[in-house]
Amino acid sequence: MAYQLLPFRFERFNDNEYLLTNEVGEYIFLQNEDFYHLVKGDMDEHCDLFYDIASKQIATTDNVTDVIPMLATKFRTKKSILRDFTSLHMVVPTLRCNSSCIYCQVARKNMDDHSANMTKKTAKNVVKTIFQSPSPFIKIEFQGGDPSTDFEMVKYIIEEAEWQNLFKKRVLEFVICTNLTLLNEDMVKYLKKHKCMISTSLDGPKDLHDTNRPLQNKDLDHHAIFEKNLTMIRDIWGDKECVSALMTTSKHSLGRFKEIIDEYVRLGFNNIFLRSLNPYGFAKQYKEKIAYPVEEFIENYKEGLNYIIELNKKGTFFIEGFAALLLKRMLTPFATGFVDLQSPAGVGIAGAIYDYDGNVYVSDEARMMARFKNFYFRLGNVNENTYQEMFNGELLHNIISSACTECLPMCSECVFQPYCGADPVRNMSEQGDMIGFRPTNEMCKKTKAIIRYLFELLKKHDPEINRIFWSWIN
Amino acid sequence: MADIKFPVVELEDNKFQVSVDLNLYAKEVITAALYKFTHLYFIHQVTDSSNSNLVQIVFESKEDNQVNADVPKHFCNELIDQQLRHYTNNQFGHIRDLIVEEAFKPVNVKR
Repeated sequence: MAYQLLPFRFERFNDNEYLLTNEVGEYIFLQNEDFYHLVKGDMDEHCDLFYDIASKQIATTDNVTDVIPMLATKFRTKKSILRDFTSLHMVVPTLRCNSSCIYCQVARKNMDDHSANMTKKTAKNVVKTIFQSPSPFIKIEFQGGDPSTDFEMVKYIIEEAEWQNLFKKRVLEFVICTNLTLLNEDMVKYLKKHKCMISTSLDGPKDLHDTNRPLQNKDLDHHAIFEKNLTMIRDIWGDKECVSALMTTSKHSLGRFKEIIDEYVRLGFNNIFLRSLNPYGFAKQYKEKIAYPVEEFIENYKEGLNYIIELNKKGTFFIEGFAALLLKRMLTPFATGFVDLQSPAGVGIAGAIYDYDGNVYVSDEARMMARFKNFYFRLGNVNENTYQEMFNGELLHNIISSACTECLPMCSECVFQPYCGADPVRNMSEQGDMIGFRPTNEMCKKTKAIIRYLFELLKKHDPEINRIFWSWIN
Repeated sequence: MADIKFPVVELEDNKFQVSVDLNLYAKEVITAALYKFTHLYFIHQVTDSSNSNLVQIVFESKEDNQVNADVPKHFCNELIDQQLRHYTNNQFGHIRDLIVEEAFKPVNVKR
């Protein structure tokens, strides 16, 4: 053999072609015959195709010891999310909420129930623990319930963190996740002053949003209040980007992705993350009423993505967030932080959540499981355990060592591995253990189908689609 | 013309047997290929009593999934892909280890 094969994974992409990817996310499609020649070692190393293969570092005629440092540098860049350790710290000041979402995953408390409010002592210890993270970037994200129902505690944590940061000097950011309905002008002015961005939920047009996310007070019109307050927030902030929105797909959302996207455009958002239902909380308990087969989501996703591409072609800049994330992994050498889909998994080492009672979980989903008496992913409690015990303990080491796609069954050989990630919490919730079983794993089915579809679009070599994809990445 | 023995045999209703030659396929390759079918069918794997280089694999229907003649054929194709992975991995597996070691060298130095 006149050349050396370098590490790659492969899969039959269709009847005529193989897809090959390497450790650092480079890819190439080969006709079946070319693939066999490459593997057998009798491909002409002076042909154009071999030059393409070599440029992707899937084979080389150079000395391997010269190629390894280059691939290692790229690999380190792809894994640079590991460098800083935990930067996303989600805090639950209260479980109280004025919504009554059909897929609620956290066992919310009613507005008059103060039994699940965080105390100042716990809040102080939460902030103390957060600042023991070595990360130079600290993002504190307020989750709930709806954190605006205990805005005094939100303010206390923000100010405590700002005080700590006078000494720690990290890049400190805040985000509050809220349905917007309880925010008033004073609250928004406070959030603006402290640079606390707002993340909200929008499931689509009025009837759909109100079906998925009704308020507990049936006399109130959720969507109307949402829209009024969105305008108020943007007016005070003077910047449309201050509010981002997330959607969740329930059974009622299927067949309506175009309307959902139109609603986002109408309300001035320039991106959407077409997100399927997670199997936790009510979403798991009332599966028959609100869940759906993953195949249906995939079909809806493709329709939605196609529609978004058409919008862009017609001049409306609008991003589908999940596609943008995957495309960045497929088309650039850069790392992308996304706690739910990275390898090793981001649980605990990229993000962690601090519950109202001081319990620390590796992810929001782990907290959701705890609501239903599964405490497997609880790292400890800020009032009882040290940072080292929680974030350098045996439990987190065990979880992470079970959450590298490079060595999970079937993931290790999967051609999409460089773009994908592991989710031990979801595996545990859906399949009973952290490793999971890929042939029946819904997350795997969904992610593979979407990556495959993006490859199909890239293979078209349509300059307009490529331009749109690059505009999303940039 | 040489007599080629087809490696797939229908045993009885809802059971098919595949003979896998260990001279062609590694044991870990067989396991990797079988793994993708275990949720669909019951699978039995035994070494042939008269030839230790043959592994007999029996697919049996499970719940709603009926075994038909296509199942062992899909399995045979999967074997080829897995053996190819095994073959290529033998060529570059050590390089993968070297890349990862080199990538994380700065972390080890800091330790």
